[in-house]
Amino acid sequence: MLPRRAWLAGGAVFAALPSIACAQASAWPTQPIRLVVPFAPGGTTDLAARLVSQGLGMRLGQPVIVENRPGAGATLASAQVAQAAPDGLTLLVSNIASHGVAPSLYRNLRYDPVRDFTHIALLLETPSVFVAQPRFPARGIADVVRLSRDMPRGIDIASSGTGSSNHLLIVQFGQVTGARVNHVPYRGAGPAMTDVIADVVPMMSDSLPSSAGHLRAGAVRGMAIASTARHPAFPELPSFREQGVDLVASSWFGLSAPAGLPPAITGRLSREVAAVLADAALQHRFAELGGTVGALSPPAYAEFIAGEVARWAPVVQASGAQVE
Amino acid sequence: MDILGNLAHGFSVALSFSNLLFALIGALIGTAIGVLPGIGPVATISLLLPITFGQPATTAIIMLAGIYYGAQYGGSTTAILLNLPGEISSVVTTLEGYKMARNGRAGAALATSALSSFFAGTVATVVVAGSGPLLTSVALSFGPADYFSLMLLGLIISAVLAQGSVIKSIGMVVFGVALGLVGTDVQTGQQRFTFGIPELSDGISFVALAMGMFGIAEIVLNLEKPEARSVLKTEVGSLWLTREEFRRATPSTLRGTLVGTVLGILPGGGAALSSFGSYMMERKVSKHRNLFGTGAIEGVAGPEAANNAAAQTSFIPLLTLGIPANAVMALMVGALIIQGIQPGPRMVEAQPDLFWGLIASMWIGNVMLLVINLPMIGMWVKLLQVPYKFLYPAILVFCCIGAYSVNNNVFDVYSTVLFAVFGYMCNKLKLEPAPMLIGFVLGPMMEEHLRRAMLLSRGDVMVFLERPISASMLAIGAIALIAMLLPNLRKGKEAALSG
Amino acid sequence: MKINAKDVASGLLLILIAAVGLWLNGDHSLGSARRMGPGYMPMLVFWFQVVLGGIVLVMAFFNGPDPLEKWTGLDASMLVIAVIVGTLVGFAAPHLSSFFDNSYGSLGLGMLAGFLVVSYARGWRLLGFICAAMCAFCLLLEKGGLMLALAATIGIASMAEPEHRARPLGVLGITVFLLALCWWIFIKQLDIRVAVWPLQY
Repeated sequence: MLPRRAWLAGGAVFAALPSIACAQASAWPTQPIRLVVPFAPGGTTDLAARLVSQGLGMRLGQPVIVENRPGAGATLASAQVAQAAPDGLTLLVSNIASHGVAPSLYRNLRYDPVRDFTHIALLLETPSVFVAQPRFPARGIADVVRLSRDMPRGIDIASSGTGSSNHLLIVQFGQVTGARVNHVPYRGAGPAMTDVIADVVPMMSDSLPSSAGHLRAGAVRGMAIASTARHPAFPELPSFREQGVDLVASSWFGLSAPAGLPPAITGRLSREVAAVLADAALQHRFAELGGTVGALSPPAYAEFIAGEVARWAPVVQASGAQVE
Repeated sequence: MDILGNLAHGFSVALSFSNLLFALIGALIGTAIGVLPGIGPVATISLLLPITFGQPATTAIIMLAGIYYGAQYGGSTTAILLNLPGEISSVVTTLEGYKMARNGRAGAALATSALSSFFAGTVATVVVAGSGPLLTSVALSFGPADYFSLMLLGLIISAVLAQGSVIKSIGMVVFGVALGLVGTDVQTGQQRFTFGIPELSDGISFVALAMGMFGIAEIVLNLEKPEARSVLKTEVGSLWLTREEFRRATPSTLRGTLVGTVLGILPGGGAALSSFGSYMMERKVSKHRNLFGTGAIEGVAGPEAANNAAAQTSFIPLLTLGIPANAVMALMVGALIIQGIQPGPRMVEAQPDLFWGLIASMWIGNVMLLVINLPMIGMWVKLLQVPYKFLYPAILVFCCIGAYSVNNNVFDVYSTVLFAVFGYMCNKLKLEPAPMLIGFVLGPMMEEHLRRAMLLSRGDVMVFLERPISASMLAIGAIALIAMLLPNLRKGKEAALSG
Repeated sequence: MKINAKDVASGLLLILIAAVGLWLNGDHSLGSARRMGPGYMPMLVFWFQVVLGGIVLVMAFFNGPDPLEKWTGLDASMLVIAVIVGTLVGFAAPHLSSFFDNSYGSLGLGMLAGFLVVSYARGWRLLGFICAAMCAFCLLLEKGGLMLALAATIGIASMAEPEHRARPLGVLGITVFLLALCWWIFIKQLDIRVAVWPLQY
């Protein structure tokens, strides 16, 4: 199994080759653009990426083709794109998993979330929420904390998976409030939600898009939203801050390219993405997904990512999750 | 509105010209991709997702659903003709279906598959319409301990799939479970048995495993035996079922429909369990159980009915809870969200057109599939008359492209090669690949539910016996195990004594 | 004696795999019954497999005879040579050309070489050529494009069939037909995400 390292390292050589196809920015794009989505089709990220890619393709005059390359918590595709040629023809949907949490979670990550990419724009942010079984006695976050202290082994809270941002929010919740929490991981948000509705687990930490339908239908009760203010679509759902807990967290994703993208292309992409995001119909769709449109310039997005990496590192450490 | 009124409304929606057209398109595409090895409904629906943006939500979902159940029909075709299962449900179909094809009864096997699927689809559609919300509560009453016991029962009965030695089959089931454990541990996030290969962190690809162990290994074995190829070439036999075959298949279809309808409702694993649960049942209950392993029509009719019924009832968690039961359903959720429809428990009231239109179109789609598939049987059987030397390069390249396109990654094709070698070796050692595949699919789920049950019960093992569902599953499993091992041991003893 | 050689080999294979699995599982913590560690389930599974392998092995002495197929000296020696050549080529690949630098190119070239070498022995010929054909597909797909990859696959796979070896023109016909068919199905109709012609990406 020794040549394995060699195979892994192999890609780096390819990346080091001068990028032949690096065209002049004025002519760019002359070919269809690949937008790599590091998740399976059908999820929030995939859907929003497809919505953006349609508008972007129209504005650029070349189709932007979504390519799903799921795997290894979104790090597989990110590593591949990091090694691709910076010619503006390969773009990546960077996100909290691959660019916020993974640097602390994976011991041998094959890319640097800031240095190996040209970050272009933040696209969408979706706040995290705590939802509970309607029959669960706690009315607010303070009740949850109190109840958890009375329980011999803490309160069970489900999440979409170990190392996910939703899991880390549970860990941070325990750190901030001193509540005794018992994390119950699932393979995705769907199965976790099933068990909350079925009263197997009383509470769940989730992203708003996957909870929205169940909240509206009353199948689960919202406990708190981890945004600075209440969400316009859910005005009755109080934020953590209102309930005296300083917890703000959201899933986010944006547009990135391999490092060394010519500034002219970066600028063009940044302008076009801003124009696409300004579209009212698209904003309406994003709001329906339970998210808000991100608006960050390329340097601001890069700074945002660096901030997220720094923010999650201690939480990952506290969670005890570590991937070889 | 009562159910009949609702259904009438549904039919009025589904029978509109554009909805009919897209149901037909979906069924056609589904059949086609079901036939192509590796290209499954997940890949196709994700490719077609953008097309649905511009359509009304109901039309979009009707088309996507058509692809899904169309692929179920098409998938049995390659399983029967080429021993190439595209997904777990058709693994079971290969066992008797491929044998039937080799006996010159390919036409009958395909016709049985189409007819029993149609029958099961019809029954399941009525069930979804009539008692969807009621059945949801059944699904919700399954806790992690119950799922664990169900999976364990599934693994125990999967050993019955064995055509040779039971002990060897259990060994293969267990090895399948071990292979299923490769990848990221759900509870801790730790990588297990991945050798640092990032592609393995999501586990071994099912398509690579199934294609290698069945399809590619089968190519090599067929090439090795020129006499086996000539059987394929000459004896095609009558395309239609004989009266005797029809009589034998009917009760199996009924039983399969029942098994599939019930198991399909359970999110995750239910649909996978249904087809071989039915196979197990046929092997124990059918009058011709001695013929199993040599091409028994019961072993095609039952599982095919079961997997199609399960495919229909697996819509129940999606439509009544808004929770996807499998990857295809997750894509449906995506398609709905894009349309601005938030799937959730209120969908039945909020979107009556969508809900009842989809249910009606499921039945219409099943009629279409029957009409499409029955005349095509002749064509498929002709495919077997193509000399094998021309056929095998085509199967090979389809498998290569299919394995690649699942994750757009050549790693999966390399895995297919390795499993082909292993599958070839297993064949030479008379080790059964089918139980291994079932262990592979159920093993990880079983582990997940076991650990979750223990986590929630704070380490109390009694939870498996205290819950009535779990306890009865375990009791059935214990009885099945004893019933299975006793005759086998007796046989072994006899062999030893006479030897 | 009525030894079932197939069952002996099966039992040994099961035990061997389980032993390797248990050894690899040493890295994973077992945890407690309440919070089972990542190593708990693999440990149970592999020990169970050892026991089953043992039963298969014991029973093999009573339910035979069922001999394995005969290996010729060439079959055995070519297998050893192929493993050695494959490993060497795999190591050397990154130094040969940048063509093998990504997406498991070294693995693929090593496997291709190994399978081609082993195909020299009659007993391995069919398996060797079919597997080599698939490796060629993987190697050529990303940089060479689908058409080139398919042509190579069909070419190598046809070596497995004596009738094709005698008639290269027939193979050409099959290749052209399958290239057209695959282009129509996968590119024209399904539009899968893959390079079609050389140096497209």
